[in-house]
Amino acid sequence: MSGGAAGRAALGVRLGGGVWLFLGPALALMLAVYLAPLFDTAVVSLHPNTPSGIDRGRWTIANYLRLVDTYYWDVLLRTLRVSVLITAFSVLLAYPVAVWLAGLGPRGQTWAILVYMSPWFVNAVVKSFGWTLILGNKGLVNRGLMNLGVIDTPLRLMLNETGIVIGLLPGHFLFVLLPLWAALKGLDGNLRWAAMTLGARPWQVFLRVTVPLTLPALLAGAIINFTMNMAAFAAPALLGGTRTRVLSFVAYQVNLEELNWPFGGALAVAMLVVTLGFVTVAQGVTRRGLAGGGR
Amino acid sequence: MKRALTLFNLLMVAYVVAPIVLVVWMSFTPSMLFEVPIRSFSLRWYRELFSYDAFVDSAWLSLHLGLVAALVATALGFLAAYGLVRGRPPGSGVLLGLFTAPLIVPAVVYGIAMLQFTNLVGLYGSFPALVAAHVVIVLPFAVRTLLAALEGQGPELEWAAMSLGARRRHAVLLVTLPLCLRGMVSAFLFCFLISFSEVTVTLFMAGPAHQTLPVRIFNYVSDRIDPTMAAVSALVVLVSVALVLMLNRLGALGAVRK
Repeated sequence: MSGGAAGRAALGVRLGGGVWLFLGPALALMLAVYLAPLFDTAVVSLHPNTPSGIDRGRWTIANYLRLVDTYYWDVLLRTLRVSVLITAFSVLLAYPVAVWLAGLGPRGQTWAILVYMSPWFVNAVVKSFGWTLILGNKGLVNRGLMNLGVIDTPLRLMLNETGIVIGLLPGHFLFVLLPLWAALKGLDGNLRWAAMTLGARPWQVFLRVTVPLTLPALLAGAIINFTMNMAAFAAPALLGGTRTRVLSFVAYQVNLEELNWPFGGALAVAMLVVTLGFVTVAQGVTRRGLAGGGR
Repeated sequence: MKRALTLFNLLMVAYVVAPIVLVVWMSFTPSMLFEVPIRSFSLRWYRELFSYDAFVDSAWLSLHLGLVAALVATALGFLAAYGLVRGRPPGSGVLLGLFTAPLIVPAVVYGIAMLQFTNLVGLYGSFPALVAAHVVIVLPFAVRTLLAALEGQGPELEWAAMSLGARRRHAVLLVTLPLCLRGMVSAFLFCFLISFSEVTVTLFMAGPAHQTLPVRIFNYVSDRIDPTMAAVSALVVLVSVALVLMLNRLGALGAVRK
């Protein structure tokens, strides 16, 4: 083995320092157009905003203290509420879908997965437009119910939190579904069979064997799903409207309408820190789940 | 039990695809209103669409931007993936984390950062700045796809070429790259799809002069709604679905994982 390595080195096939010629371009791009802008925004968030622009000579944490103002606190609570609801519904809906998927043939699984993935691939703006045709005052649902005589006045299904939850769920559903489906497929069928032979009923097998063994995958997926809900922009903006503002929409208004970049920057940094925190937890859960087999 | 599950999944599928199907269906209505079912089939709104310069310009911009960004990202992604797989330099994990960070960092955060940064360096609203941002956004998909492609083939053929006297750049270009062709095509299509669908970062940083198709639809939807919107949305859906089917054929959709 080491002789082979030495031979390769002698031939010059080992990359050695030349590796940076390959990694250099992507690294330079990420430093210049990714890390530098994020760093600059973090710096800007620590400067005060003045009528004549950002005062780069002075430092302050006032922008962060403003985040806990009642108004922004309410927006944050609404964003949390909507995100948690979407994650909870996704988790509830994921088991019946994943169990059904795992029971299909290989071809059936590929196509069904593709269908469940499709909302993620289709542009959020287009989907939201579709939802306005369904949920709006003159939308499909309201017109149908009024024609049937079930209701007299249209139900408010959008421009509120309901609309955001309904519209955002399908696009982020697959981040719960895919890990759960993979975990179900990887499950040793003998375990369920053993439980059955010991007299467990199907629902007992599901609750006491299947669920505990797939819980880490589900949890990791749920956390990713949650962070995506917290950060979503286009769908909440179009389905929540200006009355039901979530954090990302407020960040849009602060940066592009009020042009208060220090405060807008603080909002961005806060969202970044929260997201990275949750993702770190999700990765920890996945790793422990793999090592400990679920328990 | 099995039947109940199937029924549940049919309803669930109907729910998740409903807005997409409805938009496409509506785009063929002959009337001004969104009425279901549509009474007859018409291409009226598609004709309107092509006489509406703003949408046509946006479509060209999206196409142009997507092609350039996908091309650059595929090239950078190949080089980076090659370096990571064959070189295994110290800190490989950190580098991969950096290249795929745009999957995790919210688009709103990056959009704000680019809005402020491009203003700082005087490139706000410029096409090169937009291309650079799109390359960053799609790079994770290129790197992941090409990592999988390179890991799937050993370095032996490359070594053979080099032991026969080929220089590394020739071995990479003439041996490794052709062997990764499927991965290269997948990466390119994936990058184009992601760039073509991107709305948040573009909305924050592109400025009024560079409204891509999704940004144009976003601004238009908040204003007024008529079936022209359905027609342009249906075209966007068509492009996305075609790309997804091609990627599925190429077995490349695994790169979606977070």
